[in-house]
Amino acid sequence: MSLMKEIARHTAGKVYLLLLVLSVVGFIVFMAMGGTDAAESGEPIVLFGWMTMPLVSGVVFILFWLVTYLVYFNFFWPYR
Amino acid sequence: MLLSISALSIFGLIIVLMAAYGYRISAKTAEDYMLGGRTIGVVVMFFFVLFAISSAWTFYGFPGLLYTEGPGYVMFIWGSVAGFAGLYMFLGPRLWALAKVNRFLSPVEVLAERYRSPGLRLILSLSILAFIVPYVGIQPLGVGAGFEALTGLPAIWGAIYTTVILVVLVLLGGMRIVAWVNIFLGVVYMSALLGSLVWAVNALFPTGGLTEAVSILAVERPEMLSSPGPVGRYSPVVLGGTFVVGLLAFSWPHVAIGCMTARDKKLFKQFPLLIFVFGGLFFYIIPFIWGSIVAPAAMPVAELEALAAENGVTLQTEADRVVQTIITRNLPQWFGVFVLLGVIAAAVSTAAVQLMTSGVIVSRDVIQGIFRPNAGDAEITRWARWSVIGIVVLSLIVSFAYQGAMALYLTDVSVPGFAQWAPALVGGLLWRRGTKQGAIAGTVSGVIFLVASLLVVVNGERILVVGHPVLGSLLVNTLVYIVVSKLTPRLDEEIETVFFDEVEAYLEAESHNA
Repeated sequence: MSLMKEIARHTAGKVYLLLLVLSVVGFIVFMAMGGTDAAESGEPIVLFGWMTMPLVSGVVFILFWLVTYLVYFNFFWPYR
Repeated sequence: MLLSISALSIFGLIIVLMAAYGYRISAKTAEDYMLGGRTIGVVVMFFFVLFAISSAWTFYGFPGLLYTEGPGYVMFIWGSVAGFAGLYMFLGPRLWALAKVNRFLSPVEVLAERYRSPGLRLILSLSILAFIVPYVGIQPLGVGAGFEALTGLPAIWGAIYTTVILVVLVLLGGMRIVAWVNIFLGVVYMSALLGSLVWAVNALFPTGGLTEAVSILAVERPEMLSSPGPVGRYSPVVLGGTFVVGLLAFSWPHVAIGCMTARDKKLFKQFPLLIFVFGGLFFYIIPFIWGSIVAPAAMPVAELEALAAENGVTLQTEADRVVQTIITRNLPQWFGVFVLLGVIAAAVSTAAVQLMTSGVIVSRDVIQGIFRPNAGDAEITRWARWSVIGIVVLSLIVSFAYQGAMALYLTDVSVPGFAQWAPALVGGLLWRRGTKQGAIAGTVSGVIFLVASLLVVVNGERILVVGHPVLGSLLVNTLVYIVVSKLTPRLDEEIETVFFDEVEAYLEAESHNA
């Protein structure tokens, strides 16, 4: 089986793929738990006066992908 | 009016001149016309892909839906950014290497050869064309809406103008010049999008900027600041479904073909950085702020409803051009014209790549692959060029006949349609056990399920849609692909050698050479 062999054949690659999958699952669970809804008081949660939770959560998600990508592709990717 | 016409004329002329220059310097081969001679570097590729996926939808449809339904729709963007990056990180190197080593010119050709099936080639070609063609037509129509909001002239004039530019660009230019023109279009587009936001925020909320806008919304329309949004659409299931739909961006055919134009393997390492930083953390946040904060705070929904009634259109249609309306009302006229140029740039940059992709599929996969296998380079290039006109006409007719909310057309029809080749694509590149029978059965069942789920309506509800049109159809497609592949004989050794062993060896060797 060749399923992303170049990545899945070494530990760092497996960890990288696992982290990405977990981040996707975690993001969906976060939404399912109402992470982007208003607070229980009904007040919307806003960061820095203008960043709503759908934006904040997405930025965090992308930052996570960015950091893991930088680490893996610069130090571990077999085709680097 | 004179200003608008002058600006539009100069803008159109620049694109036509660039296309003509591209024609003059091109090598006049099919590979050069269809894949830019496989010489696209990372910077050009970035503009090429980012602005191929950022259409009039980004300026109109996306903010329009945020305006009416709240911020939950942004989940599509987060999924898309991950999907595009995933394409370049995981599938791109293999697709590129396969195409380069075997001189394949279309992604459908890659799969047809991988599965050794002309039948699959025809099925994939027709399925991709069926879903990409209406999306091409949406671009000129989207421009038409902005054109009407700015000038008051009928939308059809904006659509005709955009269509003419598109056809000239693609007919003369080919993939390389489409990629190069996307740099020019991208700069215009980005300046208009960012410039309009900064200027509008300063003009409309002079004391507190975005914080002031959010304070207004917190009082007048607080449901705009969280999910499920003002109409309650974005429940956890819909939020998750919208995010998953975004993840499927890796299967957009006009994006996947970009991988085949890459100059070298290094591009696949560098490209995701640009997608994350520039696309995810900057570019797509601009229309989000426009649609979910600035537009609703600047223009209450009751006011937009009144305007929609006055114009005889639905609220969503009016919302699709709310950004242009706010700019026209509050900023100088010349800037409104510049923004319209930005929208035209967005529309042309996307539709040109979609048209190129469609032309490549028609000529390489349908004409040469099925009907005229002995057609030479010149003949298939001619077919690719002239099929563009037919595709444009067809796409305009379809889009005009079935006008709806721009944003929902993308996510509810085009993306589920594009996704139907995803199992065959992913399996074809990464799974040795995938077979021709599995790919055909999976694709056909996925498409049939998707069409049925869109058409079967009982008591006003699409009873076959679970969460989102793409979820059921993709699940059926994937399951059928896997099960039928497992039940049918595996590929012969030669295919495994060419499509897996040799590609891996080539990528390894390239890594050592780099």
